[in-house]
Amino acid sequence: MKTVMFNTRAALTPSLIAIVGFLTVCPVVMLVFGSFSEGLGAFGAFTLEKYIRSYTDPDFARIIFNTLIFTIGSAFAATVLALFLAYLNTRTNIPFKFLFRIISIIPMMIPHILFSVSWVLLLNPSNGILNLLVRELFGLEGAFLNIYTLPGMILVESLLDLPIAYLIIAPAMSSFDITLEESSKVFGGSDLRTLRKITLPILRPAILASVILVTVRSLASFAVPSVIGMPGRLYVLSTHIYRIISTGFAADYGMAAAVGMSVLATSITLIYLYRYLTSESEKYVTISSRGYKPTVIDLKNAKYPLFAIVAIISFVLIVLPVLVLFYTSLVPYSMVPSAKAFAMMSWKHWVEVLKDPISLVSLKNSVFLGIVGATLGVILSIFVSYVIVKIRTAAAGALESLSFLSFSFPGIVVGIGFMWFFVRTPLYATIWSLLIGYIATYLPYGIRPMTSAFVQIHSHLEESSRVCGGGTLYTLRRIVIPLLIPGIVSGWILMATMFVRELSLSVVLSRPGTEVLAVQILHFAEDGLWGKLSALGIIMIFISTTLVVIASLIGTKMTKVETVSQ
Amino acid sequence: MEIRIKDLSKDYFSEGKRITALANVDLTIPANQIFTLLGPSGCGKTTLLRCIVGLETPDSGEIAIGEEIVWSKEKSIYVPTEKRGLSMVFQTYAIWPHMNVFNNVAYPLQTRNEPKEDIKRKVEKTLRFVQLEGFENRPATKLSGGQQQRVALARALVAEPKVILFDEPLSNLDAKLREETRKELRSFLTELKITAVYVTHDRIEALSLSDDIAVMKHGRIIEVGAPQKIYFDSDHRFVADFIGRANLINGTVETVEGSYTIVDSGIGTIACQKDPDIVPGNEVTLCVRPEFITVMKGDTGDGRNIFRGKVESLVFVGDAYEAEIIIADTRLITRIEPTATIKESDGIVLSFDPDHCFALSK
Repeated sequence: MKTVMFNTRAALTPSLIAIVGFLTVCPVVMLVFGSFSEGLGAFGAFTLEKYIRSYTDPDFARIIFNTLIFTIGSAFAATVLALFLAYLNTRTNIPFKFLFRIISIIPMMIPHILFSVSWVLLLNPSNGILNLLVRELFGLEGAFLNIYTLPGMILVESLLDLPIAYLIIAPAMSSFDITLEESSKVFGGSDLRTLRKITLPILRPAILASVILVTVRSLASFAVPSVIGMPGRLYVLSTHIYRIISTGFAADYGMAAAVGMSVLATSITLIYLYRYLTSESEKYVTISSRGYKPTVIDLKNAKYPLFAIVAIISFVLIVLPVLVLFYTSLVPYSMVPSAKAFAMMSWKHWVEVLKDPISLVSLKNSVFLGIVGATLGVILSIFVSYVIVKIRTAAAGALESLSFLSFSFPGIVVGIGFMWFFVRTPLYATIWSLLIGYIATYLPYGIRPMTSAFVQIHSHLEESSRVCGGGTLYTLRRIVIPLLIPGIVSGWILMATMFVRELSLSVVLSRPGTEVLAVQILHFAEDGLWGKLSALGIIMIFISTTLVVIASLIGTKMTKVETVSQ
Repeated sequence: MEIRIKDLSKDYFSEGKRITALANVDLTIPANQIFTLLGPSGCGKTTLLRCIVGLETPDSGEIAIGEEIVWSKEKSIYVPTEKRGLSMVFQTYAIWPHMNVFNNVAYPLQTRNEPKEDIKRKVEKTLRFVQLEGFENRPATKLSGGQQQRVALARALVAEPKVILFDEPLSNLDAKLREETRKELRSFLTELKITAVYVTHDRIEALSLSDDIAVMKHGRIIEVGAPQKIYFDSDHRFVADFIGRANLINGTVETVEGSYTIVDSGIGTIACQKDPDIVPGNEVTLCVRPEFITVMKGDTGDGRNIFRGKVESLVFVGDAYEAEIIIADTRLITRIEPTATIKESDGIVLSFDPDHCFALSK
C-alpha cells in the first residue's frame, strides 16, 4: 500500500514536468528552429536569411515605432485610469461602489474582437454610427472622429486592459497601511509631500507591475490591431506577423518565426520582471488586517461629477458593445438609430448566419474547445498546482517556473511555433492541434485559482481525515475535492470563456474544417459583413455566459452537498 | 493501550542542512494515563507524535501500540495512519470548513461504515459530552475558537479510541479559556480512561494536566517523571530551568550532614536535599525556585541558608512583586508578597528552604 502510493506520488512530478515542458518548451524550441530554417515543409539548411530579410525590411522601423507607441500608450492609459478608479473606490465616499466590482470583472466576459468591432461600428470614418450622427446633427462633411488611428487603437486597447490594471492596483491600494500616511502627517508632511514621498513610492511596485503586464498584453494583442489597425494600414508586430503568413501562396513561416522571436523574447523578459516585482511588492506593500477603515475623503461637490465619469466608463465598457452589436445585427446596413432604422429591423442577418455552414462549424468547434479544452486544462492544472503547493521539491519549483512561462506567450507567436511542430504530425489541421495550443497558452489561468485553492487546504485537514480512518481515496473524495470545488469552478470558467473567444492563436492554427468563432468573426470584419458579424458575436457572448452560469450552478450545488446531507 | 517506542531516529533536511529531529528515542507511554511530551520548539516532540500516528516516517527504530507493531524498520512493517485506529486533536483543530458540526464529528464513524442510526446516536452522545448539544447543523466555520476546539475533541472521542494524541491543542485559545479548557480536558480524560499523549511547550499546561512528563531537547528525551518529581527534584539543569523559574547557583559540596548536603557557593553556605549520587568535592549546580526564598526587611543575621542582599528591581505582576536581589555578585529572582513594604535598593535578608533546594551534578 505504502510503496504503491509513494511511487505514484514520486512519478507525478516528472510526468507533469514532461507534459508541461512539452506544452511550453515545444513551441519556443520550434520557433527558434523555424526562424533559422528554409521552409515549413522541410527545415533545410541552417540559414540566417529569414532574420536578415525581416529585420532589413524598409517597413520594419515603422512597425516597431507603431508597436512602441501602441503598447506603451495603452499601458500608461490603462494604469492611470486604474489608479484613478482604485483611488475613488478605496479612499473616497463615491456612491454605488458595486460598480467598481462590475468594472473589474464583467469586461473579461466580452471578447476583445467584439469590443474592437463595436468601436469600429461607432467611429469608423465612412459610416460609424457616431460619425453619422454628428454629420446629421451638425451638417458636417467627412468624419468627426476616426477610430482607424493610433490614438483610436490605444483608446480601445487600454479600455480592454483596464480590468487587469485595476485588479493589480486596487488590492495594493486597499491593503495600504494608512498609518504610514498618518505618521507622515504627524511628522509634519503636507498632503502633497505625503503623496509624493510616501503613497506613490509604496504603490510603485503595483504601478510598475500594472504597466508591465498591460505592455505585455498589448504587445500580444491581435484583436485591436487587426480590426482597428489594419484597415488604416497601421501595422504592429502581431499584425505584421499575420500579414506574413496570410498572403496566400507566399506565406513565409520562417520570416514569421524570425519576427516572432523578438516579440517572444521581449514578452518573456517583461513577464519575469513582472514576477520579480510582484514577489517584491509582497514584501513591500504592508498588508494590515487590523480591521480599521482608511479615512475616507469626502468628495463633497465633486462626488456626482466624478461618479458620472465612473458611470460612463462602466457603460462604455459593458453596455455599449453589446448594445451596438445587437443593434447592428438587426438593421440592414449602418445607420443612425431612428424611427426609420427601427422600421427596417429584421432577423435577416441572424437567419443568414445560422444557415452559413462555416459559421455553424466554427460554433460547434468553439463550444467543443471551450468545454473539452477547459475540462482537460483544469485537470492538468489540478495536478500541477498540487505538486507546486503540496510537494514543494526543487523539481516542483521547476514545474512552477515552466508553467509560468506560458503566461508571457503572445498567442500568434506561439501559434507560429506550434505550426512548425504540428505540420510534422498527424495533428496538423485537426481540432486537437487547437486544443493543445490553447491549453499550452492559457495554462497559468487554470493554475492560478487552483494553487490558491490548494494553499487554503491546510495539511492538517487531510492528515486529520487519515487519522480518523479515511484512506487516500476516501480523503480525496470527502475532503480535498470538495474544498477544491471553488477553485476548480473559477479555473474552468476562466479557461472556458477564453477558449470560446480565442483569436490570436487560432488565426495561425485554424484551417478549413477547424474554424472557430473569433476567426470567423475576423473574416466577417475583413469583408465588412457587420450584420452577420454582430449576430454571430451576440451568439458568442451568449455561449460564454451560458457556460459561466452552468459552471457556477454546478459549483454551488456541489459545495452545498456536505452541509445538507446528514 | 501502552505505546512502546524503541530506538527511534529521524533526520530531515532543511535548506540543505541535516537536522536531527529524533535521536535514538526509547520511551514507554503507560496505558490510560495523560502523558506529556514537553520541550522548546524544535525539540522533536511534534515529530515524535507524528511518527506515532504515522503521518511521518522515522528513519529507524520501532513503534508498537498495545500488542501491535505499527512501524518497524527492521521488520519492514508500516501500518498506514488510517489503519492505526488512533485519534488526534490538531493544533489548528483541522475542522473541515465545508462540513457542518455533525459531519465533522461523524467522520471517523463514517469511514468505518457504521450504520446511520448508530452514527447519529454516538455523535449526539459525544456532542452532549463536550457540551455542544444542538450545534449539529451549524456550519463548522461559524463557531468560536473554543467551540471549534470542542468539535475537534468530540471528533477525537466519538469512535471511542484507545489512544488520543494532542498536538498543542490549546495554543490557539486566549489565556482564560485555555485555563478552563485545561481543567475540563483533564477531567474528560481521567473519566474516560484513555491513553493520552499530549505535546506542548507550555510548562504550566504540562504540569497541571499530566500524570507523567517527558522533557525533550534536541531530539532526545532528557528526563521522564511525574510533574512534582520534574519540578522539585529534577536531575538535569536544563529540565530544572525549563520547567519553571529557577535560581541556578554554582558551588562545591563540602559535607553531608544528616539528611542535607552542604554546599559552598559564591553567596555562602547552602544546605540542600541530600542526593546519594553527590559526594563531597563534587562541583554542583544548586536549583532554588523563587517561591522557596523568603524575603524579610532588615540586615540581621548571616549563616547557613540566610543571606543579606539588596533589592535591585521590583516588578509588580499582580499577585506578587517579582524582585531581583543582588548578593555579592549573584543575581537572584524572588517573589515578595504584594502587601510587603519593601522598596527598591532596600537592604533585605533572604532565607532558602533547605527542603526545596536541590543540587544537580554538572
